[in-house]
Amino acid sequence: MSQHIYITGLGMISAIGNNVQESLASLSHSKTGIGKINYLTTRYKDDFLAGEIKLSNKELADLVNDHNPELNRNSYIAMLAAKEAVQHSGIDTSDGLRTGIISSTTVAGMGKTEMYYKDLFEKNDHLDVLDTHDCGDSTERIADFLGNVDYVTTISTACSSAANAIMLGCRMIKNGLLDRAIVGGVDALSKFTFNGFNTLMILDKEWCKPFDENRKGLNLGEGAAFLVIESEEALKKRNGKALAEIIGYANANDAYHQTASSPEGYGAQLAIEQALQMSGLKPGDIDYINMHGTGTPNNDLSEGAAVKAVFGAHIPKFSSTKAFTGHTLAASASIEAVISVLSIQNGMIFPNLNFKTPIAELGIVPETTVVKMPVSTVLSNSFGFGGNCSSLIFKKVD
Amino acid sequence: MVKAYINGTGCISSQDTINDQWFFDPVVEPNGDYYNAIEPSYKEFIAPNLLRRMGRAIKMGVASANLAIKQAGATKVDAIITGTGLGCFEDSERFLLAMLNNEEQFLTPTSFIQSTHNTVGSQIALIMKCHDYNFTYVHRGFSFESTLQDALMLFSEGKETVLVGGIEEHTPNFIILNRKAGKFKIFDHHTAFWKPSAKGIQMSEGSTFFVLNKTKTEKSLASVDGIQTLYKPATSDVILQKLYSFLKLHSLLLTDIDVCLMGFSSDIDFDKQLRELLPVIKEETIAAHYKHLSGEYHTASAFALWTATKLIEKQQLPEVLAISNKKPNGIKHVLIINQYLGINYSFTLVSKC
Repeated sequence: MSQHIYITGLGMISAIGNNVQESLASLSHSKTGIGKINYLTTRYKDDFLAGEIKLSNKELADLVNDHNPELNRNSYIAMLAAKEAVQHSGIDTSDGLRTGIISSTTVAGMGKTEMYYKDLFEKNDHLDVLDTHDCGDSTERIADFLGNVDYVTTISTACSSAANAIMLGCRMIKNGLLDRAIVGGVDALSKFTFNGFNTLMILDKEWCKPFDENRKGLNLGEGAAFLVIESEEALKKRNGKALAEIIGYANANDAYHQTASSPEGYGAQLAIEQALQMSGLKPGDIDYINMHGTGTPNNDLSEGAAVKAVFGAHIPKFSSTKAFTGHTLAASASIEAVISVLSIQNGMIFPNLNFKTPIAELGIVPETTVVKMPVSTVLSNSFGFGGNCSSLIFKKVD
Repeated sequence: MVKAYINGTGCISSQDTINDQWFFDPVVEPNGDYYNAIEPSYKEFIAPNLLRRMGRAIKMGVASANLAIKQAGATKVDAIITGTGLGCFEDSERFLLAMLNNEEQFLTPTSFIQSTHNTVGSQIALIMKCHDYNFTYVHRGFSFESTLQDALMLFSEGKETVLVGGIEEHTPNFIILNRKAGKFKIFDHHTAFWKPSAKGIQMSEGSTFFVLNKTKTEKSLASVDGIQTLYKPATSDVILQKLYSFLKLHSLLLTDIDVCLMGFSSDIDFDKQLRELLPVIKEETIAAHYKHLSGEYHTASAFALWTATKLIEKQQLPEVLAISNKKPNGIKHVLIINQYLGINYSFTLVSKC
């Protein structure tokens, strides 16, 4: 049973780029992907900003090179990111080792369902949305696209979903059930989620300002990101190259409120502490924290309090990268896992854009420009509705 | 190998499963081409202030979890793991229709908040004040299977008590649309359920929870010894080979299985591979089925596990479940072979403890 879990491939598509290289360029040039809404159909198109992938569904279909009319935006971007991760790692799913696909999503096929739902009652077109509405659809599309997959499952724990997919992949490998897994998450923008967050009044009409005293809320984004993770044995067998190691993970529940986090961030504290405990690191060993940092008044205050409680006066360098990508919901934790690995690989901490004034109650200040320094260990936090709190720790490979 | 001891069950289904005395008699027939769950009076389980806002999936989930916890006499659990194919569909649909009908105006957040798939798991965590591990699986016919797989891993990682459950709800519109898409079929009394002549299932819903324990206690009713999922097996022969290896892991032969619960759904296409397996199953063990009672839904395998637990507890195979003519001589091992849409297959091994 492998005790080491190695990351060997990265794939990502979001507002800051259609692949990992483009994403790295945007991150290292402090270039946000959030802007005016161009692709989502909504009456609020001119009132809000969003982190959209800069491709239409037709362009995505061309890129995936699959024009099956059943495919939706969620499936296109999931397939693209998963394919990039697999190609990057160089694994061959037909080599006889056990490969799992563990994905996550919250919106699933809703983006297409909302376009045709009323028509379904009156006409006989588009009834296929009934088969592609659910969360399992995009996962099985990835599985069929890659082929030779031994295990598939999908997780949905709101905005912490992909962190849990990554964690499950690690656990299945450690428990000897898989040799490697393609883990991550996907959420395309939909009118449904946009309006949902709007009714909660947690959308900022301007660029989101994580950890700023005057933050007003989040900007929604969309994206998909997948990582290939492998056991030590699987990696050795094919002479593969590790990009980083996953040395800690934990899942806890805030059990405070369906949508709000507790003021002291109790669930978040538990997740961070337990992940640290598993990694064997002390708080002082963490070089960088990629925060959940959505930019909502509640999240940032609660997360900041949790980080202060765990790290005391010595808070590591930290930033939220959501002002680059927008909040990509189920995909956010895997997008931020990719960003964390890029930090380690490139010796760079990516900035917390749009920050000016520290939150009065916390007084903590994120990095606001690109910092070049060796990064060996990264903590990444993800929290979601329903009190779901997950933390992951990545480490440079010696 | 680590096992999961079932210390409590709670089942809301299309049958009278909330009644502790019910043992597959009398049985309810579907409402034509679909089943509704028989729901309890929720006031016994849920505080009125919470009940008012909850959708049906949440109510069914919380109540059946409550039944399982009560039976197990558990005061706390170390993890809450739920599985659901469509989640809180009623709330999702309510928000969707309000948004479409009012052109994105005058919306309120309640149904959006409750539309997230992890709502049932998080509501149970809130009620139990459980800060531990909380996961929701949403993968079609693997949603409940994933919860069992996870629980077994948690036990090998040191957790002691885990609550798992599978929840599904349908809505009138969901039935109308799926019927229109040709997915349903009127329940046919004259043809054996496992020998259908046409496409179509009887859509259903329900919620089934289990309190699982790492160690056996005096409350233990049965044990889940293993679970395996198979995605799109190419042929029934592949399924059979995988089944033999699965049983071998547990040092068993198919002939050691006393009852095999098979997930026939009465759809001629979806059931094809199970139909091909049936002669072998009948030859080597005793074949039985359950979806003629539970109807078909993403987490119907949770109803199957509830059924397996009951068979072991009562040491009887009721006539209404049997496919084979043989009667079991004691029930030590029950094997569940579930299928969903002929795509998601699973094996669950349940044993007397």
